[in-house]
Amino acid sequence: MSGTELTENKLIEERIDLSRATCPNREQRASGINVWYGKASDLVKEARSGCLRQRERNFQQSSGCVLNFYLSVRIGTIRDAVAIYHAPVGCSSAALGYRELYRHVPVELGRPANYDLHWMTTNLGEKDVVYGAGDKLAAAIKEAERRYNPKAIFILTSCTSGIIGEDIEGVVAQVQPEIKATIVPIHCEGSRSKLVQTGYDAFWHAVLKYLTKKPEKKQNDLVNVASMLSYTWQDRLEIKRLLGKIGLRVNFVPEFASVEQFEQLSEAAVTAPLCPTYTDYLARGLKQEYGVPYFLYPSPMGIANTDEWLREIGRHTGKEKEVEALIEEEHKKWLPKLKAIKHEFENFKGNGEKVEVLGALGQGRLLAQVPYFDELGLKSSAAMCQDFDNLILQDLERLLSQVGDFDILVNTFQAAEQTHITNHRNPDIAMTCPFQGGAFKRDKGVTRVHALRSDAHPWSAQSGYTGAIAFGNFLLQSLKSHSYQRTMKEKTQSTYKDWWYKQPNPLYYLKAED
Amino acid sequence: MGISETLETTNLISGAIEAPRYSCALGGAYATAVGIFGTVPILHSGAGCGIGQLFGQFYAGGQNAGGPFGGTSTPCSSLVEEHVIFGGEKKLENLIKSTTELVNGELFAIISGCVPSLIGDDVESVVRAFKEKNPGIPIIHVNTSGFAGTSYDGYEYFFDAVINQLLEETPKEKGLVNVFGIVPSQHIFWKGEANAVKKLLERIGLKPNLIVGEFDALKNLKKISAAEYNIVLSSWIGHKTAQKLEEKFGIPYISFPGVPVGPKQTSEFLRVVGERLGVSSDLIENLIATEEKRAYRFAEYIGDVLLIARPHPYFAVVADSNSAVSITKYLANEVGYLPDLVQITDNPPWEARKLINEELTVNLETPAWPEIIYEVDAHRIRENLKDRNFMFLLASSLETFISGPEFNAIHLTVSFPSYNRVILERSYAGFSGGLTLMEDIMSKYAGPL
Repeated sequence: MSGTELTENKLIEERIDLSRATCPNREQRASGINVWYGKASDLVKEARSGCLRQRERNFQQSSGCVLNFYLSVRIGTIRDAVAIYHAPVGCSSAALGYRELYRHVPVELGRPANYDLHWMTTNLGEKDVVYGAGDKLAAAIKEAERRYNPKAIFILTSCTSGIIGEDIEGVVAQVQPEIKATIVPIHCEGSRSKLVQTGYDAFWHAVLKYLTKKPEKKQNDLVNVASMLSYTWQDRLEIKRLLGKIGLRVNFVPEFASVEQFEQLSEAAVTAPLCPTYTDYLARGLKQEYGVPYFLYPSPMGIANTDEWLREIGRHTGKEKEVEALIEEEHKKWLPKLKAIKHEFENFKGNGEKVEVLGALGQGRLLAQVPYFDELGLKSSAAMCQDFDNLILQDLERLLSQVGDFDILVNTFQAAEQTHITNHRNPDIAMTCPFQGGAFKRDKGVTRVHALRSDAHPWSAQSGYTGAIAFGNFLLQSLKSHSYQRTMKEKTQSTYKDWWYKQPNPLYYLKAED
Repeated sequence: MGISETLETTNLISGAIEAPRYSCALGGAYATAVGIFGTVPILHSGAGCGIGQLFGQFYAGGQNAGGPFGGTSTPCSSLVEEHVIFGGEKKLENLIKSTTELVNGELFAIISGCVPSLIGDDVESVVRAFKEKNPGIPIIHVNTSGFAGTSYDGYEYFFDAVINQLLEETPKEKGLVNVFGIVPSQHIFWKGEANAVKKLLERIGLKPNLIVGEFDALKNLKKISAAEYNIVLSSWIGHKTAQKLEEKFGIPYISFPGVPVGPKQTSEFLRVVGERLGVSSDLIENLIATEEKRAYRFAEYIGDVLLIARPHPYFAVVADSNSAVSITKYLANEVGYLPDLVQITDNPPWEARKLINEELTVNLETPAWPEIIYEVDAHRIRENLKDRNFMFLLASSLETFISGPEFNAIHLTVSFPSYNRVILERSYAGFSGGLTLMEDIMSKYAGPL
């Protein structure tokens, strides 16, 4: 291996520069990649030595972009805001369902009752790509204000607005004086980065730059939690429950947040993660600009991780004693239940072998899930991970020292590769999501990696102590259910030809290096 | 319509719009390809276009998964900045090669998005070179982009590519009829509608080629040029395709304003088709008599709920033109519902609006004529629904939660987007389709009588 040995502080670009229109891409900021297969120990070695490089594929599948993975469907849950897509009409069609989807969360469970979200598209057409469409954007901003009088207007950019060179900041500067709402341009051109996580950073950059205000007062009992929609409504309730018990309040952003909640991010006592890779840019930005402390590891998934997550929060809020008492109380209630689940997993095969699970999704979930599976007595000799960057390098090294080595396939929703590894590993439980194509067609257990925020059923929890038990039972249930995936495997044609499964390499189509 | 724009001047909406009920031309071409079983779409676009349309077309079209070739199963060149600078042709070339090696498919359809269109990729020459090397592999290029129009335009672009690149002059096959105008996923009942129309046409001795919702993609697409007639089930969608087939292959066409719903529309549809295609009128009339008898015997069953629980109610419709016309006509002409307001959301061209207006007024068997509004903007659609008489709102999932509190109306999703209804084979087409619609409407309020 060649490559310069990087020192710790060069692994990532630490400084956040809010004078710029947007963040650097994850590729630049943290040497991110989304193509890799092998031992996790080799991955960290390559990353540590600075010679980990993004490679090309000769076969690729649609996997989401900076706009259309996270932002298009989720920014729209901010309550007193309007989103404007400066894009052709198709870039926002994914947003058509979200307002109604979240109405299914009962108001009694804390969903805001006055929940009515709006988005517009500038509907870029043939003429616009020739002559530009700054005027249309300005008109749309004014119309959004006239219609809804929002506190913030988010502008989401697209491949098209980027390539034709739209001067978004120019339009914002021109119309902002006439507009009461704060205009928040987010640079999420799909073509800017190969890594969908760049979308997270682009969003937080805009939040920090335009919305977060200087603290008027410190709120020592307030904990910022950047919550992703891929954690359920029950996870949100569990976090509120736990922190509420020790007299702390949670500032959940961005989903279902009010604009005021973004403004107050600077006043919190600490920023805590659900997903470290999602929270990273916000947490660093709040620390750098306003001195709000943060931690990124661990996430509250599984018993031990939840204990540590609480202790970290306790340290920053002066609640160390209360946290220890809480942990003790919770353990009394939940550990016997965990033991029972573990016992059932251990005896499932009847031959002393552990139940094997193939899971994970984002790199953050990888860090949280692998030790949790270990707690349940499950074996995960391989995991999939949407992308990898140096933001989690240290944490992955720590994980390896805790649970030992495992294989890792880094890919962003490459269904053929995921189908291949699922087929070859043939785990007892394969965890899936809508983004894995036909990987679910198999003989053994299949279940979902995660639900979405709209799932308000207690059965869907994954976070904290109640989540550790609920998700354990959820996985047990999945071991007993085979008929759909088996029948589909038997009765439908595979998307891929047989030779694909007969050769050993999920990265068969990795392009040879020049 | 678009902000600060009037309808009268043009049907091209160039202004900004709030939550329009369609996606882009790439979305429509992609949905059409995925809806013809055996076609493998290859997106030459940014990486998010497939996933975006999984949410914004397939889930929105009745919560359907992408299937074997849609969503993340769709091969995609995933263009980024380096391709914007250096071009994406090489990447596409590699992708076509690997896709045809790896994926089980009958026909490969490259669908270009915004990025290659903006950077001027010469996709044609990539495809030509591939074809020369691999003459046995059927492949077409749908030359579109996100900014080239709506999902409905994308449907036409797909068939334009089929006509130009796949079809050859073939001897005409007696009784073979192609059916156009049903757009996969945009018309949320597309699979059921195609199947119902197919069965109707088979029963009068024709050989219908529905294409969408059918297996044997390549075979069905290739036989388009052998058809005796084209039937278009829309006042405007599929017309370009039919006109082109007429010019190129001399196939005449006939159009209807939508898929026939209920006995009256279905009987008329069969009579007109039968006359054009020389089907014996005895055959048609016998079929109509048998089917009508059954449909109206079953219509007796809804009598009590209809006449006691919610008799002669006003209703409003928010839907694409095909669905709006067929559903409104059924409710007004067969069950005595009174149309209050019809909002058409697919932006039909001016010529089609005359026909639609006529269908929704003089062709109704009621003196209650609805107000007809052509509107794509969700805000204005919602404003237009205020202060009306309607008790039923047949619309999309966007109206699910506002229908009761804001309009005091019972809601049913009958049009795109349909995130709250899973639609597989269900449809309102054909003799018994109207009754299926009544089941769905009445199940929302049926109770003690």
